[in-house]
Amino acid sequence: MVAAATGGVVIGGEFFLAGCKNPDAGVGTSATFTESDIAFLDEVAETIFPKTATPGAKDAKVGQFMTVMVTDCYEEKDQKAFRDGMKSLNDACEKMHKHGFMKATPEQRKELLVSIDKERNEYQKNKKREDPNHYFQPFKQLTIMGYFTSKEGRTGATNYQPVPGKYQGDVPYKKGDKVQTGLS
Amino acid sequence: MEEQFDAIVVGSGISGGWAAKELCDKGLKVLLLERGRDVVHLKDYPTATKNPWEFAHRDNMPESVLKENPVLAKCYAFGETTEHFFVKDKEHPYIQEKPFDWIRAYQVGGKSLLWARQVQRWSKFDFNAPERDGFATPWPITYDDMAPWYSHVEKFAGISGNKDGLENLPDGEFLPPWEMNVLEKHLVAQFKTHYPDRPAIIGRCAHITQPQEIHIQQGREQCQARSLCERGCPFGGYFSSNSSTIPWAQKSGNLTLKPNAVVHSIIYDDTQKKATGVKVIDAKTKEAAEYTARIIFVNAACLNTNLILLNSRSERFPNGFGNDNGLLGKYICFHNYRGSITATYDGFNDFVTYGRRPTMIIMPSFRNVRKQEMPFKRGYLVAFTAYRGRGTGYDGLGAELKNSMTQAGGWGIYMMMQGETIPKEESHLRLSPDKKDDWGIPQLITSVVYDENDEMMLKDFHEQGVEMLTKAGCKNIYPNDSKQAPGLDIHEMGGVRMGKDPKTSLLNKWNQFHNCPNVFVTDGACMTSTGTQNPSLTFMAITARAANYAADEFKKGNL
Repeated sequence: MVAAATGGVVIGGEFFLAGCKNPDAGVGTSATFTESDIAFLDEVAETIFPKTATPGAKDAKVGQFMTVMVTDCYEEKDQKAFRDGMKSLNDACEKMHKHGFMKATPEQRKELLVSIDKERNEYQKNKKREDPNHYFQPFKQLTIMGYFTSKEGRTGATNYQPVPGKYQGDVPYKKGDKVQTGLS
Repeated sequence: MEEQFDAIVVGSGISGGWAAKELCDKGLKVLLLERGRDVVHLKDYPTATKNPWEFAHRDNMPESVLKENPVLAKCYAFGETTEHFFVKDKEHPYIQEKPFDWIRAYQVGGKSLLWARQVQRWSKFDFNAPERDGFATPWPITYDDMAPWYSHVEKFAGISGNKDGLENLPDGEFLPPWEMNVLEKHLVAQFKTHYPDRPAIIGRCAHITQPQEIHIQQGREQCQARSLCERGCPFGGYFSSNSSTIPWAQKSGNLTLKPNAVVHSIIYDDTQKKATGVKVIDAKTKEAAEYTARIIFVNAACLNTNLILLNSRSERFPNGFGNDNGLLGKYICFHNYRGSITATYDGFNDFVTYGRRPTMIIMPSFRNVRKQEMPFKRGYLVAFTAYRGRGTGYDGLGAELKNSMTQAGGWGIYMMMQGETIPKEESHLRLSPDKKDDWGIPQLITSVVYDENDEMMLKDFHEQGVEMLTKAGCKNIYPNDSKQAPGLDIHEMGGVRMGKDPKTSLLNKWNQFHNCPNVFVTDGACMTSTGTQNPSLTFMAITARAANYAADEFKKGNL
């Protein structure tokens, strides 16, 4: 996997005990992620949601969030699919750009993921209900979820109103206005 | 010296809280028993003001928790922000002879902390239906009996709503209504044009939109439109036992609240020919104790009220409390929630909503209202809401996708049914002959089913809903059948039904057992039929009515 390929240090134990409630999670389980895994996931997420006038996915620590969600909230087969997906993504980069994802430039990363996302879109449209998701699906889903539920994404990219105080049925809206969000 | 109580109330949820409040207000000394832990308003709402990023899984539940709780996992309100208010499957096992998703909340306040807060009154048509159509034993009370008690609880609880003048969904004591948005107004107008007999209104909900003196006295404030109610409200914006009836009863000086008190059974005294008290098991130490009083209100929530009564066996009542006719635990009914429809609408892109509204648009039942006219019995209420999504789509990535998803998208519509179900003897509860829980109380067996009437009603809702949305100009209209088991509606009712005739019912028009008048049942278990309305308001009103009667009879020396 990516950890083995990069020789990263396993930081599973302490991180997972602090961050989640899965009693099975710990050092050495198939679900543990390394620091270099997180760095890799951060770059994938940043390519999906880059920093612009508003914070990017890396600012929102989406890579780390993905590892917590995959470890705690994914079934074992989906955890494996996610790990395999990391490798597939890296392999696809090798094929397209002749080097791994971490060595690719932001432009190369975007070119790669745009192409994978097209493939994902086609696959998801045509797949049968019982077929597994395309491997890129969870990366995209978790990036969007992690970003918009993070402090940086929620407060930086949306009109965050934890206590609206009232409800108004019709407020004027024009394209470009930030969408209003609440606590949940 | 042992404390003396005039009345014991079993259960501190939405109806038990009302029983305690009314009895205390009338000067009776009340012992309120709750099987779960104490939850004190404001103090015990640990997640109420937390931001999404303060939860490790952003309100998603870990897979291990979902696997351990296959029933609870299906509940829409169960998540990382609310898990502390729900009973975990393993802690309180029951036996599903037929699938029944039993959602429970064992703590002071019970499910009143978690309820959906929609409070539509029943109409005369609903109370008259069993007698008119002959599908259940007749109700012993009428809408006119209930109207003043609806008013009584509405004023205190704080109900927002509009006076719509509908005979089929009577007006109540309302605080200002919530607004409809532009698309909802369009849909309501279109439905009215195409179907003159199908008016739709803004839902009436137990949220304070403009605090009155009575709410200020309770220490409650205006709803802030956060819509995070299931975490407990730091403003007391919605009604719960915790924010309202229990602290009110405590202020009277007449209430003793005892959490961690699991009621095992009602004690019947053969010589006095009445109930004398309750047997209680301490939830923590498992020690048994008995408490006595002249009046007992059983408000443990429908299924547990049935369980306690089935477990209350004596020489006089060998088959369960008051069960001379063998009907205790039978005619369990619920609401048919299986049908929903989603749709989209093009247009109205110049408007968004601000804040989060705690109610939907409601179309009262339009089937079999004034006479039996469909191939199925009774009808269904339709609730719907229109909302703007995010962004222009899920495809692509990069700055364009991020930018798009921070903006309002197209309009979506969600529509659902709330169908009346027909009580039938086959749908019943009974006690396991051999399996007990950790407190030595027999486990409950659930045997509750859908029937042909439910299937026909679901089909009619899908047909009518799709047709209405089509005529209103909606697109991408998709009906869905969740196929969910009974129970997940969390509207279980019956088993100890009210009625005029002791041969076909357990309780009289004041919710007293026909054969033991000092025991009252006023939670969902007392319901003779289900109506199409969210039931809690009716539970509250029935409870307040019965409690005031009980207190008056107590003072006259009749109880």
